[in-house]
Amino acid sequence: MKPRRWIDIIWLALFWAAGLSMLVILLGIIGYLTYRGGSVLSLEFITSSPSGMPLGVEGGVLPAIRGTLYLVLVAIITAALPGVITAVYLAEYAEESKFKTMINLTVQCMAGVPSVVTGLFGYAFFVMCLGFGISLLAGGLTLGIMIFPQIVVTARDALLSVDEKYRLVGETLGVSRWYMLVRVILPQAASAIVGGILLAMGYAAGATAPIMVTAAVISANSSGALLEPVMALPYHLYILFTQQISIENAYGTALLLVLLLLFINVITLWLRRGLR
Amino acid sequence: MKNRLVKIICFSVSSLATLLLLAIVAFMVKESWPVWHSLGVGAIVTGTDWHPMANPPQLGIGTMILSTLWSALGAIMLATPLGLGAAIFLAEFAPPWLARLIRPVLNILTGIPSVVYGFVGAAVLVKFFEVSFGMPSGESLFCASLILTVMVLPYIITNSEAALRAVPNQYRETALAVGVSKQYLTIKVLLPLAKKGLVGAIILAFGRAAGETMAVLMLAGNTLVLPTSWFSKGEPLSALIALELGTSVVGSAHYQALFAAGLVLLVFVTAINILLNVIRNGKRNVVSKR
Repeated sequence: MKPRRWIDIIWLALFWAAGLSMLVILLGIIGYLTYRGGSVLSLEFITSSPSGMPLGVEGGVLPAIRGTLYLVLVAIITAALPGVITAVYLAEYAEESKFKTMINLTVQCMAGVPSVVTGLFGYAFFVMCLGFGISLLAGGLTLGIMIFPQIVVTARDALLSVDEKYRLVGETLGVSRWYMLVRVILPQAASAIVGGILLAMGYAAGATAPIMVTAAVISANSSGALLEPVMALPYHLYILFTQQISIENAYGTALLLVLLLLFINVITLWLRRGLR
Repeated sequence: MKNRLVKIICFSVSSLATLLLLAIVAFMVKESWPVWHSLGVGAIVTGTDWHPMANPPQLGIGTMILSTLWSALGAIMLATPLGLGAAIFLAEFAPPWLARLIRPVLNILTGIPSVVYGFVGAAVLVKFFEVSFGMPSGESLFCASLILTVMVLPYIITNSEAALRAVPNQYRETALAVGVSKQYLTIKVLLPLAKKGLVGAIILAFGRAAGETMAVLMLAGNTLVLPTSWFSKGEPLSALIALELGTSVVGSAHYQALFAAGLVLLVFVTAINILLNVIRNGKRNVVSKR
């Protein structure tokens, strides 16, 4: 064979290897976590509180699950509506202008702000300046700021991908823009927007850096009171590992987080498929 | 009437959102202003002594900046060839069913929380280095880079694939009609044509890697010495903030210096994002000129 043919075969093999390595990485992570954490993850682990000395050696993660749930709820309540409204403005109302470009650029820049910097802002503003203290409210609002740009971007793209002919037909028929938006365009984009919000929830549930300094503590009841600190799954994992409390429980917690995320991704995929 | 009302509501909410970003920047500047003012930008950014409790406090964050750059650049060096290879595979060579399988995998990889990546890295990689190379402790900037590589790969792949797909089909048809192989076509024709998009993807990934916290916090070793090689320990900016914010006294020079570190990180990542925007707009212009 000519050397050229050999080179082509080598390149092809490299491309295949690079592509398949992604599958290997994901399966490797999930497989390893299941192997090490599968035996820990049980109904009892999910429904009992951490116990033992130091706290977390035995028992489960119920308060952390509850805390993460509350944090995500606060975040989504604060970020979802403004996010979708901003997306509607960008996709439907704003004319091509400097102002629109500026908002688009701002949202893009906000999406790139490192989460630890968002946490720093949350600490200075919510915890100190407004005096919320280390609390569910401060952490939830900080997470809200973090996921806001994500929601804007996915909702905007969902609205923009609605077929242009609906808008044209609506305009020729003289239907008001508002009516078109509520009755035609939003329903068309709804499943993609909801999918985006779900992904943002997953992102908020897994974020650690922003809540380390604004909401999460090593041990709390996580009752849901807005001005009290909470436990959270990702922070619990961090503490379990770095303080060398219990490596088994750390694997269990990590597996739980990954499963939560897989679940959210599957739902989003299913929603998108429904759209087609 | 209703229409106008909706428009006004939308307009004001969007404006508030924009103000929020400015508020973040303004807050960081306000909180860190005293140390910038008293020590000077040069002394903080290039200083390598970090003794915030000393009197007078020494607040050089040069060591951390270097650690951030080292771990992020290392990750990009490792992720670029692999990411481009995978993007080429998805865009040009993969059978459709396999591509449909791999794309959601990328989404899931982006979604896995960074603390899980950090944990797996620390529990597996660090152990591996300790056992097989007999190192007293396995953490290093190299370890952090390895995990960051996995974390930024999905961004590189998704964006590079989009850039490759954006190359008009006529190039592929012409090249194949002339009789070159598909591999040759991809490397010599498609890659140069998609160059701007590919560079954009890599820059985006660099920004992500530089801002990442949990993974580097758990893997880089967190020692405040000037990193001399890829395999030495370091403490990137994000790790410094996460570790020390809780213990710093509000309003002290220590606290202000942490905000200065945050501001440096914010300015750096935002500059990358604006650069990205410029590149993308430039690309659009080139296409429309054709």
